[in-house]
Amino acid sequence: MTSLQATRAMPQGTPLWLRIRRNAWGYVFVSPWVVLYMIFGLYPLILSFYLTFFTYSFVTPENRAFVGVGNWVGGATDPLFWKALYNIVLNQAVFITLKNGIGLLTAALLFRITWGARFFRTIYFLPVITSTVVLMTIGDNLASPGGPIQRWMINAGILSGPSFWKSDNTLPMIVIALINTWKWFGISTVILLAGMYGIDPRLYEAAAVDGARGWDMFRRITLPLLRPQLFFLLVVDVINGLQMFTEVFSIGFNVYGGINNQALTPVLYLYAQAFDRSNVGYASTLGLLLAFIIAGLTAIQFRFIRSEAD
Amino acid sequence: MNQLKRVSLSQLLIYAVLTIGAVVVVYPFFFMVNNSFKTGREIMHSPAALPTEITLRGYTGVFEELNVLLLFKNSLILAVSITLLNALLSALAGYAFAKIPFPGRGRIFGFMLLTMMIPGVLFLIPTYVFIYNLGWVGRYEALIVPSAVSVFNIFLVRQFMLGIPDELVEAARIDGAGEITIFTRIILPLARPALATVAILTFMGSWNDFFGPLLYLNRPDRWTLQLGLLQFRGTVPGENSEQIWALTTLITLPIVVVYFFIQEQFVKAFANVSLSK
Repeated sequence: MTSLQATRAMPQGTPLWLRIRRNAWGYVFVSPWVVLYMIFGLYPLILSFYLTFFTYSFVTPENRAFVGVGNWVGGATDPLFWKALYNIVLNQAVFITLKNGIGLLTAALLFRITWGARFFRTIYFLPVITSTVVLMTIGDNLASPGGPIQRWMINAGILSGPSFWKSDNTLPMIVIALINTWKWFGISTVILLAGMYGIDPRLYEAAAVDGARGWDMFRRITLPLLRPQLFFLLVVDVINGLQMFTEVFSIGFNVYGGINNQALTPVLYLYAQAFDRSNVGYASTLGLLLAFIIAGLTAIQFRFIRSEAD
Repeated sequence: MNQLKRVSLSQLLIYAVLTIGAVVVVYPFFFMVNNSFKTGREIMHSPAALPTEITLRGYTGVFEELNVLLLFKNSLILAVSITLLNALLSALAGYAFAKIPFPGRGRIFGFMLLTMMIPGVLFLIPTYVFIYNLGWVGRYEALIVPSAVSVFNIFLVRQFMLGIPDELVEAARIDGAGEITIFTRIILPLARPALATVAILTFMGSWNDFFGPLLYLNRPDRWTLQLGLLQFRGTVPGENSEQIWALTTLITLPIVVVYFFIQEQFVKAFANVSLSK
């Protein structure tokens, strides 16, 4: 493949020394990435595996002790790690469904209007560009006991009294998923809308001749043809979502996700292990475990989409 | 006139739903700005109401207790240097991967794509250990150097440059132009849309980053704006609320202003990301 491209991009008569000089520039141009990746990618990658076999602390690095697979066994059987995984899966199930559902709905509506689509798109995209810390601070105050949302819910008879949701066992992850939906659905809107504009309008015309109506067209034409975009969104959401940290921390939970670990996420937990308990080797093991879980889920998604396409 | 008549009932319904959506999306921002002009007492007792009397106490409080200009400067130093480095280095690498058929190019590129599959969380602890041992904790380098170039940006630029005709580059080579000249005179001007995407995404990511500065810049004179908010995190609900709303408004304002001027590019930047996959 490389030789094929080489002959195509380079006319036959080019002198050898010119080709060598040009290729040398090729190596120079990619070298910054290669060098940086070896230092800040490959080296930490090896170090992370190495660290998992030791107890190691920043405070007393000289007291490093070999523990074999102790960290791995500890991590795989740590109830807090599993609690954190449960929390994040619950959070992401709610978040991914709502974010992409609302994104799909708004895209379908924007696709059908004749003017103003750009205006609404601009508005819906506003939270995407705003910082997570700011949005979580706003969301926290809107949803707090005594905040406007709860006041309104009490007045409307939905809530009987103020809800102290932060100390509840499941509500924190749900509320965070709702705030994150507000932040991110605009991305789904933009990507899915671009996908809809890319669908050949003749398909709809032909379907209309056959007597298909709005909902049928959406289900039979739009949705199947949006599969690449939906798949892309799903893969990215799973990879990013399982690594959540800032949201929980900036909404006011400590690094253990509250007294009952009700808002603990895997990354929060490995942060707590590394920087609060100084269990660096153990934290590194948790990072690897989470990375394997994410890689496994991504692989399953790819396999699923491939068998769907067949 | 005709067009107005054609706006059917279903169109009206769609506009109604979209407008409700817009109000829901914008209201929290209004809530933030509105509260930034109220006294702590009013924020506590009537959070949704308009201020009975406009006060700037939150803003003056933020500037008294926090060196806002320093934090602003720190945020800017990080975001600008990371953005410039990424634009330059991903343009160079993207050009080489797209237009210079050096031996081994396919292999290096394949390896690069493979590294994209590794979840970032894996690097968190070992990178910290490494940077800690380098003595970089508390220094800008800790955040700038490791993020000077990203695989993702290189990939984005390379995909775009594949669309630039080979003949343009070849013609310049036959005329005796060196690779640097070709890069600066032909490639850079043509690749501007891709570089704009890289610049917007990188700047926004760095400006809004919280976790990176929290890990590495744990020193008040190196804090970024995002970290400054932690300063006002109270133990009692309602504590420091004036300053919190003023500071969140101050953090959000610059990026929203930029967004409204070049919103088309912002939206395109995100759309480009999905199409390049």
